[in-house]
Amino acid sequence: MHMLLTEARSRATSGAMKRFATLMMAASVAACGGCVQVQAPDKPIEINLNVNIKQEVVLSLKKDADALITDNPELFPK
Amino acid sequence: MTHQRNRLLTALTAGALVLGLAGAAYAQAAGSLVSTALADGDVGEQADGYLGIKGTASAALRGEVDAINIKRRAAYTQLAAQRGVTVKDVAATVGCQTLATRVAAGRAYQLPDGVWRVKSAAPITLPAYCAG
Repeated sequence: MHMLLTEARSRATSGAMKRFATLMMAASVAACGGCVQVQAPDKPIEINLNVNIKQEVVLSLKKDADALITDNPELFPK
Repeated sequence: MTHQRNRLLTALTAGALVLGLAGAAYAQAAGSLVSTALADGDVGEQADGYLGIKGTASAALRGEVDAINIKRRAAYTQLAAQRGVTVKDVAATVGCQTLATRVAAGRAYQLPDGVWRVKSAAPITLPAYCAG
């Protein structure tokens, strides 16, 4: 009689645990609906560096550039 | 033997002189090709600091444009070394200045987008890095 009671109780406990595990799994699956999914692009990422000249550099070179043009008129036909 | 060598030397000197004169005459003739092409809008200044050809051009014109660009590159390289910047920086700065001041109305020019345009009476809208 005593044994039976213990067995029944343990059976009940394991049943509760199973139900809890199932619930947790369902919850985690549901949570994944809100996950941010990152997908790698199939094309390579292109960064255009053609116009990568710093304005300050251009500014500092302006006088030199003007001198270069006026000193070499044959290179800058009008 | 010495006499023969002298004759050879004279012949070589004469040959070099003729070649040099022909070269000078060619360069002068070719220089006018670029001037004409500039006036016609077949050649123009580019934002990258070099001359460019719009469309197709004769081999002679192409050669003259290339020769000017090679000399420009040499000058840019020298200035870049003096100032501790890249050749591209110098070239682009010269490009800003040529587009701002040296393109007359009716002449062709090219911005970094690669499109050839014809200068109107209004100033050219320069690339952002030219400002300042």
